[in-house]
Amino acid sequence: MLAIPDTFPIDLPPFKSDLSMPYTLTPGRAAGSFLAEIGKRRIVGARFPRSGTVVVPAQDFCPLSGESDPELVEAPATGTLAAFTQTGSGLIALIRIDGSDVDMAHRIVGATLGELKIGLRVAAVWSDVGAEGVLAIAGFRPAPQAPIGLIRPLEGAGKPVDVVPYKLNLHYEHAFGPYYGRLFDEIKHNRRIMGVRTPDGEGAMLPPREICDITHKPTGTWVEIKQTGTVRAMSVIYLEFIGQKQPPPYIYAEIMLDGASTRLIHNVAGVDMSRAKELVKPGTRVRAVWREQRTGALDDISHFELIPDGK
Amino acid sequence: MGRHVGIVGVGQTHHSRRRTDVSQAGLVREAVDRALVDAKLTMEDIDSVVVATGPVLFAAVNQPEKWVADAIGATMKPVVRITSGGGTGLAGALAANYQIAGGFADRVLVVAYDKLSEGALQYSISTLYDPFWGREFAVGIMGFSAAYWRARMDVLGHTEEAAAMVAVKNRRNAMNNPYAHVKKEVTVEDVLRSKPLAWPIKTLDVPPISDGAAAVVLSCEELAAKSTDRPAWIHGMGYFCEADNAPARSMLVSEPLALAARRVYRAAGITNPRRQFDVVEVQEPYTCFELSYYESLGLCMPGEAAELIRSGATQVDGDIPVNPSGGCAGANPIGAAALIRLIEAASQVMGKAAGNQIPNAKLALAQAGGGWANLRGIAVLGA
Repeated sequence: MLAIPDTFPIDLPPFKSDLSMPYTLTPGRAAGSFLAEIGKRRIVGARFPRSGTVVVPAQDFCPLSGESDPELVEAPATGTLAAFTQTGSGLIALIRIDGSDVDMAHRIVGATLGELKIGLRVAAVWSDVGAEGVLAIAGFRPAPQAPIGLIRPLEGAGKPVDVVPYKLNLHYEHAFGPYYGRLFDEIKHNRRIMGVRTPDGEGAMLPPREICDITHKPTGTWVEIKQTGTVRAMSVIYLEFIGQKQPPPYIYAEIMLDGASTRLIHNVAGVDMSRAKELVKPGTRVRAVWREQRTGALDDISHFELIPDGK
Repeated sequence: MGRHVGIVGVGQTHHSRRRTDVSQAGLVREAVDRALVDAKLTMEDIDSVVVATGPVLFAAVNQPEKWVADAIGATMKPVVRITSGGGTGLAGALAANYQIAGGFADRVLVVAYDKLSEGALQYSISTLYDPFWGREFAVGIMGFSAAYWRARMDVLGHTEEAAAMVAVKNRRNAMNNPYAHVKKEVTVEDVLRSKPLAWPIKTLDVPPISDGAAAVVLSCEELAAKSTDRPAWIHGMGYFCEADNAPARSMLVSEPLALAARRVYRAAGITNPRRQFDVVEVQEPYTCFELSYYESLGLCMPGEAAELIRSGATQVDGDIPVNPSGGCAGANPIGAAALIRLIEAASQVMGKAAGNQIPNAKLALAQAGGGWANLRGIAVLGA
């Protein structure tokens, strides 16, 4: 049986979290060669000598036999339709390039759904200059008369593309739920930090939650936590990294607020950074400094400052 | 107790800062090819595959086990993926151990890798934190790790000098490791003077960022002899978690590691770890962790770690050598790091650690961890 939180339902819109992660991906030799040659309107495949399997576009490892170290070959720009579907952004198909033992996914252009049939002959339509990677092929068009193309040795191949810049832009919407909902609503409107009592009633947990992590018993009633506390652990950040919210140097601190039994991660600021190591230590007393702006997040606390007389 | 399980083949890549000549899956293939050759087996002999990976955001490939299975020729075999932060390699080996011990497979291949050159590491690690509570202030795990090292200085005496000695030892040991990619000896002075990143953590307290992969073949007792007459037998293995922000946690000793050690030592008959183990491999993402692990693993009492490193006991010629391979200081492809520790420990008791071999090593301890402080595990391996 879980306790019903003595809170009120708060209809907060979800918390939006946007991540934007840059990458430099490495395609490997075969796919890198495919990417290098496709810009020159050549389709590169891989022939695996032991099984004779041909894979288009080229891959370093045979998905059928597990072989490695293929011979790179030039594949024709023609094939047959193996499967297709209509999507909101056009026709998508699996195409078996002539001579290949596997299908590749691409667009169908210059045709309507009604004209497509499994087994239809298709030919690549090349993009105008500027399209990158596999989109150097704009799509495949029906080509009933196209002769069956042949796999040929790859001649005069350039250096494979070894790095492909990439970016993941991820947009999440996290639901607050009743505990985070009240915590951040109180932070926003009342500038109060609310926890819940531990099951034994001795301390309080921040962030508030339904069940105690140690005893697995339901937590107690809501309690306001003081805005003063003690630094438990600290470090001076000089490192710069992607996604960082403030320029270094600054002080990372894990703070136990008075009355709380758990830690809060924040920054201690307003100190002479050249003496940060001496001024901020485990045991140093600090208090919250609020920002003017109220967004209803932990960041509404701008930082923690030293309590002058250390009390 | 289930069936006996042994490590019968190991393989790892020559780790480096950046490999642009292979894809992520190609990197795994290199380690797998080496492990299969080492075990005198082919993929056909493998019943089941475990793919162990770090956080997906490190490399932007979701469900990488699909890609990896194709690249190592394991299609149509049972495949599971285990992901458990930096300790994922050990967690993957544990899953393989269970499969064989439980009689569901005779030989299992475990692969683990990371190609850290491809992503934004500290930013990715910060997403391990609760988006509501702490993520906006997180500095990967480095801010956290540095902060609690600072706290341990006061209570347990883990000084900057003691941690610097760990860096000196591990970087010297890495000189003899053919797979390490950082090979440069340093002095205590060099470490203390190196640029602070998250003080007290300084540049030379930090391992490199690496591209690398590792693979291990585990076998049941009946079939082990086909691969080697000297497997590394698993005497015990465990991987434990603790609550992230539970009430009244000191964070001064690693509680899940102490828990794992207590449990696994009992199963493996270890009553005096310092005297019984011939060699130890720990996964030390920063030098300060190695000091902390000495204590959680029972190699010394809490508060004695600085004295243990100072005494020379954990050097290759000491009575309890720790990280003769150089540990993470030599190479740190995070997702593979824990499996590399297991490989190095296994190689010691199999007698094939070459330049890093501790003479007559019969009993080895491997430690691993992930999720800043929350996940910790060990394995005890015997000749």
